[in-house]
Amino acid sequence: MTNTNAFQNGNVSPIIKLENVSKTFGAIEAIKNINLEVEAGKVYSILGPSGSGKSTLLRCINYLEEPEQGRVFIDGEELCGNQKLLNRLRTKTAMVFQQFNLYPHMNIRENLTIALRIVKKMDKVQANQIAEAQLAKVGILDKADAYPSQLSGGQQQRAAIARALAMEPEIMLFDEPTSALDPEMIKEVLDVMLLLANEGMTMLVVTHEMGFARAASDQIIFMDAGQVLEQANAETFFTASHNTRVKTFLSQIISRS
Amino acid sequence: MSHLNLQAAEKSASAFEVKPNKSIKQSNFPYWLVGLILLIALTFALVLSGGNFSDAFYFIREGLTITILTTLAAFSIAMVIGLITSLGRISTNVFARNLATFYVELIRGIPVLVLIFFIALVGVPSLIDGLGKLADSLGAWGAPLRGLRNDSIPMQSRAIIALSITFGAYLSETFRAGIQSVPKGQMEAARSQGLSYGQAMRHIILPQAFRNILPAIGNEFISLLKDSSLVSVLAVRDITQLARLYSGRTFQFRESYLTLSVLYLSITLILSSLVKFTEKRSRRDQH
Repeated sequence: MTNTNAFQNGNVSPIIKLENVSKTFGAIEAIKNINLEVEAGKVYSILGPSGSGKSTLLRCINYLEEPEQGRVFIDGEELCGNQKLLNRLRTKTAMVFQQFNLYPHMNIRENLTIALRIVKKMDKVQANQIAEAQLAKVGILDKADAYPSQLSGGQQQRAAIARALAMEPEIMLFDEPTSALDPEMIKEVLDVMLLLANEGMTMLVVTHEMGFARAASDQIIFMDAGQVLEQANAETFFTASHNTRVKTFLSQIISRS
Repeated sequence: MSHLNLQAAEKSASAFEVKPNKSIKQSNFPYWLVGLILLIALTFALVLSGGNFSDAFYFIREGLTITILTTLAAFSIAMVIGLITSLGRISTNVFARNLATFYVELIRGIPVLVLIFFIALVGVPSLIDGLGKLADSLGAWGAPLRGLRNDSIPMQSRAIIALSITFGAYLSETFRAGIQSVPKGQMEAARSQGLSYGQAMRHIILPQAFRNILPAIGNEFISLLKDSSLVSVLAVRDITQLARLYSGRTFQFRESYLTLSVLYLSITLILSSLVKFTEKRSRRDQH
């Protein structure tokens, strides 16, 4: 809650701001009246049971879901149906998906350069340089000429992260990035995410990895039934939350693992 | 619990595994293909031996150019119509979607033969009529349209128009299936990177869709080649029309229609083996 106060005092302006955002799918209210402010350079983990609206919240920030009510601001500019503005604001945020969503008909290098060349109108040489730098960063430069299907799940997700980074986004959105991975591949992806967090990247991470959330997050956002029930710094959330719903959730997680 | 289930699943899977053996290999041998090739070879032997079959063949062969040109022209136009229509079918725009669906359902509900009659003998003339009236109302501006007469569009062009419109509707369904076979996440990934809908379609979705439906497109081409025989009803001199003419003139029905059938058969057999080859290759290269 300290963030909000800081903003209201005019000290920090949020890089992402959600005002009363709601989204329904048919009769189901996925998220209700969400208010959220994200500060630049901080890592936020969004936790909560399945179906609590975590992914929908993230997708509203990227406008993959159009909110029915409320407003979303990126860097002070409001997201709306205007395609030109939308495409421009989308280059400020980059999304990493649960299913990687690499382009299967292109090799990894082309996966990284296609948007640079089309959206940022870069020439091939420049785009390739950026792609190779990002692939080196996530440790799979040797896979540049391979096709996605030739990579392991962990490598594919790292390639997807590199693809997102290549666009030089201000904000990284992670939608359960390790949920589709075999257990032995989760660490290599989390390591890359930790590296980004330490570099000061603004990150919103929907995750079930409590260890990561605790170690890497500045703030934890806990959601249930489409609402933000609690927002606190990581240590407070895991050790000193008074919310009974949070306590139940945490006890279930601990008893499960 | 889940561990046990996994073991059980493994067991049952191995029980269904059948080791490849000689008898299966033999039963997979394409005897049917040998039969068809034999049929073709025998007919060509009759042709080469001279006599009635030879005369029929050389007469009918003259129509091959028109059959092939009609097919290629109609198919190219149908591909364009099909692609545009499929984009309309999946569009969120109510008008585009309904217009595209109207067209596809209209065409699919009418036999090809009837469509050919209708478009060539009703559609094209009324279009020319309408253009003429438009030219009159435009005054001096309509001059370029005024020269258009009913006989200025030959039957072969009308046949191509009719086949294009028909197969455009069929192909749009193939394209639509292909586009819908690409996972939703592909469009989302592209859009989240700032590509517009059109850019994402062109660079991400359509290349994958096209690869998935290449065999289906090949089969549509074969269908079109066969259905091009229907243009003979407009007196377009394709191989079917020439076979009709030849048999009518000589009463050698057996020679004419056997030669004609085998001509179609040899072309479609070659094409369908090409389709099978691309199907195998695309399955192997599935990235």
